[in-house]
Amino acid sequence: MLYGHFVLDGDFPDVLRLAACGDAAAFARLWRDTHPPLLRYLWVSVGDAAEDVAADVWLDVARRIGSFHGGEQEFRGWLFTMARRKMIDRHRYEARRPVSPTADGELFDRPAPDDTVAAALEYISTETALALIATLPRDQAEIVVLRVVVGLDANAVAQIVGKSPGAVRVAAHRGLRTLRERVADATVTSPGRGGVTL
Amino acid sequence: MRVFTASLAEMWFSARRRSRLSPDEATAELMLARRRLGQHAPASQRTLELVLAAAAGPATGRELAGEAAAVTAFLAALPEPEPARRRGPRRIPVLAVAFMFVALVALCGTAEAGALPAPLQRLAHQAINAPAPPPAMRVPRPGADVTPGPGASGTHPAPAGSGPSQESRTGKPSTTPKPTHTSASQGDGNGNGQGQPSASASAKPSASTTDNGKGNGGTPGQGGGNGNGNGNGNG
Repeated sequence: MLYGHFVLDGDFPDVLRLAACGDAAAFARLWRDTHPPLLRYLWVSVGDAAEDVAADVWLDVARRIGSFHGGEQEFRGWLFTMARRKMIDRHRYEARRPVSPTADGELFDRPAPDDTVAAALEYISTETALALIATLPRDQAEIVVLRVVVGLDANAVAQIVGKSPGAVRVAAHRGLRTLRERVADATVTSPGRGGVTL
Repeated sequence: MRVFTASLAEMWFSARRRSRLSPDEATAELMLARRRLGQHAPASQRTLELVLAAAAGPATGRELAGEAAAVTAFLAALPEPEPARRRGPRRIPVLAVAFMFVALVALCGTAEAGALPAPLQRLAHQAINAPAPPPAMRVPRPGADVTPGPGASGTHPAPAGSGPSQESRTGKPSTTPKPTHTSASQGDGNGNGQGQPSASASAKPSASTTDNGKGNGGTPGQGGGNGNGNGNGNG
């Protein structure tokens, strides 16, 4: 049983064709299907700038959707490749013009791993789960989100991040192992906080 | 054969890779592929599964809040529809205007060179002050009667037999040809015109000659006739 799924699936070719012709309702369906995972992916990578970067990505999609051909899996690969390029541009921009008075504002934006894990175990919402994934090294977090949240296979993720499928698998396994260790530590160290019943 | 060998090798490597996965890696692949673990999975793995399921959970209201703005931005950012369709209606008038302009320039050039047919050249002369058309030449048809008779034209030399026009060259005929025959039918004619003296023996001016002729004449069998004729001849 899957705990994530593609909403459009069989309707995707018609929806894509209509959206490419400028149909607002079809584009809205595409957006509703793809925007949440896009936002989650960007949030893990660029934090609070996710909304701005996502808006840029959708503008690019609107301009170039007429030239896209492929299925839903390919569409997601195409869209997240654009998102990753935007994300890298954002990192470069922030590196050139840091606006945070501290060396790394991300530390203040995101909770510490222990607190995040404890919160995730008490009430696992989407935000807390993403916050937990965001504590991983950036490349591992990115790959875990692309595989689990976006629903891409190892080959598609490899094309997006520019690595071999084997390297993608290794990074994903390491990320999951780290997450599992943090979750196990949290359940052991905070038994009295009403954690998840295992 | 080569394809068969390659597919066999691929299957062997695939099976070996699968067999080399540790139980943890196999479980990780299941979770990454978003498949549920069984009830017998270790507690830490089931907890991790819950975390991943929450991360891939349904969209929240906050995530979908910007749909209207996204659709508006989409409609505004759509590329212009079909530039060829827009180019079509515009291109035809441009071509027509260009063609008309070229035709007009060519027409004016021809008119300035005086090479238009006489009626058009006359029109151009009146409209754009182009050179006037050359004087019209009327060439007698072969076999036509050149005797000045009714409606004698000045394009001809003075009427045959109009001595003054040959001798005095005053341009004013002093004698009037008289018809030798008088009949019931008479004709009157007036004619003005410029003419060049022909090579006929009856009127052969050696220099510039202006003849005006007036006379009545008749030819046998035709009865009588009156005619006026003016003729200018250059010779």
